[in-house]
Amino acid sequence: MAEKPTCSCGANEPKRIIFPCAGQANVGQLTNLAAIQLTEEGYGNIACAALLAIGTESLVTNAMNADEVVILDGCTMLCAKKIAGAQGVAAGQHLVLTELGITKGPSKSYTDDDVEKIVAACWKGEGRVENIAKPGKKTSGKDSGCGCGGTC
Amino acid sequence: MTKIEVLGTGCAKCKRLFANAEQAVKDLQITAEVIKVEDIAEIVERGVMLPPALSINGEVRAEGRIPDVNEIKKMLTE
Repeated sequence: MAEKPTCSCGANEPKRIIFPCAGQANVGQLTNLAAIQLTEEGYGNIACAALLAIGTESLVTNAMNADEVVILDGCTMLCAKKIAGAQGVAAGQHLVLTELGITKGPSKSYTDDDVEKIVAACWKGEGRVENIAKPGKKTSGKDSGCGCGGTC
Repeated sequence: MTKIEVLGTGCAKCKRLFANAEQAVKDLQITAEVIKVEDIAEIVERGVMLPPALSINGEVRAEGRIPDVNEIKKMLTE
């Protein structure tokens, strides 16, 4: 069970929006659980990657206005990152669970330690993406690679 | 020896900050003392109004947020 903050501290935390891939495999489901725990701990607010995929305007706007977009992908298919990229939303932090040492399938089982590993990695900033002007800012194209952060 | 203090009353965010500070010290392979300051009177006395706060050698470097490991490493190497 996630430990909820017992105080109202952390008032200077950046406004973050968290997109879990929420895939059917164990790693996909783990992204969901980690995003929920991160939300409960006050790291950011979980949002629906599927809702982003259909281009919901208000969600895209929220993602653009966030201080940081956090994307949690279960595996190297990178579905959530691709969904965000298709809407012009760039990740400020991107974690891939299989790269954190969590094995994808065939079992659907997971442990609390798996969830903690992901949540701790987020707080530590292990997936932080460098060289973007503002996390979440709309870019001019998908992975254009110019490094301008969407200003060109 | 570098003295790193995490000022906070012990909630989840304070624990995350403490873990980040420990990780930064481990990554940099430096000798540093990482301690928790959980006494609210002492926290207020130190001028921290928005916990959690990170203090390095007596100077508050972050307040009301949790710097990630890389940011703490930068603070420690400045």
